[in-house]
Amino acid sequence: MTRRPWLRGLRARLLVAFVLVTVLGAVAAVWSSAGSAGGALVTSYQRQVTRTIGDQIGAIAPQLTYPPDQGALDRLRATVGANALVVYGDLRSADGVDTGLITDELRLAVRTGDRLVTQRTVVDGEPWLLVGTPVMITASDGTRTPSGIEVYAVRDLTGVEREIDGLTRSAITTAAWALPLSGLAALLAAGSVLRPVRELRDTAGRLAAGDLDARSPPQGADELAELTVTVNEMAESVQTSMAEMERMRADARRFAADVSHELRTPLSTLTAVVEVLADTTDGMEPDARESARMAITETHRLVRLVEDLMEVSRFDAGTARLRVEEADAVGAVRDSLRARGWWDRVELVAPEEVPARLDRRRLDVVVANLVGNALRHGEPPVRVHVSALPEQVRIAVTDSGPGLPEHVVPHVFDRFYKADAARTRTPGSGLGLAIALENARLHGGDLTAENTDHGARFVLRLPRDPEEPGDPEER
Amino acid sequence: MAAILLIEDDALVRRGLELALHRHGHDVRTADTGEAGLREFQAFEPDLVVLDLMLPGMDGFAVCRRIRASGEVPVIMLTARGDDFDVVGGLEAGADDYVVKPAKPTVLDARIRAVLRRGTGTRDGVRVHRDLRIDTAALMVSLHGEPVRLTPTELRLLLTLSRASGRVFSRQQLLEEVWEQSYIGDSRLVDNCVQRLRAKIEADPAAPEYVQTVRGFGYRFGPV
Amino acid sequence: MRRVWCAAVALLVAGCGIQPTGVTDGGEAPTGVAPGVTLYFVGADGELRPRQRDTGGLGSISEALSLLLSGPGGSGLRTGIAPISVQRVGVTIEPGVIELVTPLTIDDVTPLGIDQIVCTALDTHVRSGGSRDMRVRVRFTQPTPETDELRTCPLIR
Repeated sequence: MTRRPWLRGLRARLLVAFVLVTVLGAVAAVWSSAGSAGGALVTSYQRQVTRTIGDQIGAIAPQLTYPPDQGALDRLRATVGANALVVYGDLRSADGVDTGLITDELRLAVRTGDRLVTQRTVVDGEPWLLVGTPVMITASDGTRTPSGIEVYAVRDLTGVEREIDGLTRSAITTAAWALPLSGLAALLAAGSVLRPVRELRDTAGRLAAGDLDARSPPQGADELAELTVTVNEMAESVQTSMAEMERMRADARRFAADVSHELRTPLSTLTAVVEVLADTTDGMEPDARESARMAITETHRLVRLVEDLMEVSRFDAGTARLRVEEADAVGAVRDSLRARGWWDRVELVAPEEVPARLDRRRLDVVVANLVGNALRHGEPPVRVHVSALPEQVRIAVTDSGPGLPEHVVPHVFDRFYKADAARTRTPGSGLGLAIALENARLHGGDLTAENTDHGARFVLRLPRDPEEPGDPEER
Repeated sequence: MAAILLIEDDALVRRGLELALHRHGHDVRTADTGEAGLREFQAFEPDLVVLDLMLPGMDGFAVCRRIRASGEVPVIMLTARGDDFDVVGGLEAGADDYVVKPAKPTVLDARIRAVLRRGTGTRDGVRVHRDLRIDTAALMVSLHGEPVRLTPTELRLLLTLSRASGRVFSRQQLLEEVWEQSYIGDSRLVDNCVQRLRAKIEADPAAPEYVQTVRGFGYRFGPV
Repeated sequence: MRRVWCAAVALLVAGCGIQPTGVTDGGEAPTGVAPGVTLYFVGADGELRPRQRDTGGLGSISEALSLLLSGPGGSGLRTGIAPISVQRVGVTIEPGVIELVTPLTIDDVTPLGIDQIVCTALDTHVRSGGSRDMRVRVRFTQPTPETDELRTCPLIR
């Protein structure tokens, strides 16, 4: 059986079950009450008819001549009524109406028996009651013998049937009234059953949406209440482990932030003095000079690493702020390239200007990272393609190198992800692309990596007018 | 060659920067707390103060406000990178510029020289705009005949803007010309300096007459 | 689902109509026809004797008693009831009792004569379909102690 969709809802199913039970009950009640009432009605009518006929015959019988002549038979027939027939031997009363309905079965029972008999027939859809009786002769000692007179009578039952139909109709009407009432009761019952189910569903929905504080109060002591308690316990345990995980992550982030913060002070000293050192390396022994230069290089690397770590920490802590201003995206990219001395090594394909609202510093960080990467890992020409979409600025940085290994593409924005051992000694901190991605997202934009036919391509998409609370222009 | 007061609490950083700045030809005095710094400021009368914001006792902001209140000596702050709270607080306290720690001495030296430079290239005489009189040769500004005391940065900003009356300068242009930051300057430097300048030369800083904001772009000098 | 509904409705409708039946018993057949009436007279041996009088029909108790009061005729039987000019007898049937109001005095009838009246009335009652357990009260023109007696016919038990 294919279930229709509307039957799938619990409420609908409860409703249907309720109504069905009610209807079946009502039908059974109607049927049995109408049936028994109808039966009683027919029986009582039949009894009344037979008694009347018996009494009528009994009352006139002593007045009849016996053996009867035609006149006696006619008199008897007239007494019983129009639809009657009286037979004695070959004599028969003048026919009443409808006596043709009398069955042979009934005639035989009357002729051979000594009791009044009845039979119901339906002819052309109309119900009839047939009554037949022999008239008896009673001796002084009470013994009865048939007199040979037979009386038949036909009574129309249409009226009775109409009465029964009326009864049935009123019973059906009553039952029909029960239908909306049962529907209402079903709705109420369904509501009371489904309310906790609905609450539980809402709670589960909120849990799924991440609101781990969501609980539903268990009501009563039924299976639903147990389920509610279980769901609550589940939510509790999920919440506990989530809180634990969150705490551990926060600890780790704080640790990274603290470490980089603590490193900044000695690095400040180092940064200050390595310049002094650099100025004096020329007069050093070759070994000492090389050592000094290594110390200087590594100090700068360390500074960059710590700066990147702190930048990442700010993203993690959610303290990174976007400061957008009216700017020309092309000009900003050009400035970034020029400032780093990349102007001659990079091909800039861009329209005259692309006005947008940007955080120039963050855009510079992204561009510097992407172009720096392309120059380091790819082959020239490195091309920066700035284009203006209606709502977005698209900045694509492509190189003509071997491209990214396929297994690297999904992880290229992971922190400290090392594609291969050869890359471990690059000037980058390992955080550059992660920071670039975070900066793109802070703008409400996106940064993706892919391979073209000729090399790797990083595409930055920034909204031209990001939603941003503070507006420095409005001061 | 400038007389510089360096206020920094960490002894090694202080010494390192002192060494480096000394090599760049500056006469450096140091102090390890805000209070000591202010005392030294009175005694030494430096051309410029390099101020670490994170100080024990009296913090860098308070020190900066005190220095600003007592004269026109420029202040360069040392801040953590992108630490907006420090930057905004320091600029509001009156700092002329800031350098992110760990600071490279060459960068710091460039900033110091930029901040200390009093004039712009063109010295075309006296510009008079209503009640404001700007003497580009003597680098003197007076309002209603009264001299106005401006910091070198404020003076340079006013000179730059007034050089082409009515021309609109973007924040980026102003950063390049006044702060000599070739790229990615912090536009808040401009906004803060404009505010300070307005406080000194405008009758009503909320409805400025001379330094006008051009919404969505930058500033221009009026009256046109 | 719809089929179940239809079945239920069909069953309901089928339950309402009047169904044909076979021949069923409807109680006692009526009785009361007879070729004549039975009167009770007294035989030569002094015993009660039923005597059929062919009247062509049974008739009522009242008619039977009128015939009885008119005497045995030439049948060779006697009667214990004095001849009387008025032969009408009032008959009232109450539950369990047939009350006869005769135009006789207690002196007009012998005890056998009372039995004749009782038996004739009861016989006619039984043959017209009545019960055999009926008692008969015979009233006379003057109240007598015998009037209240509830009697039965010695021949009809």
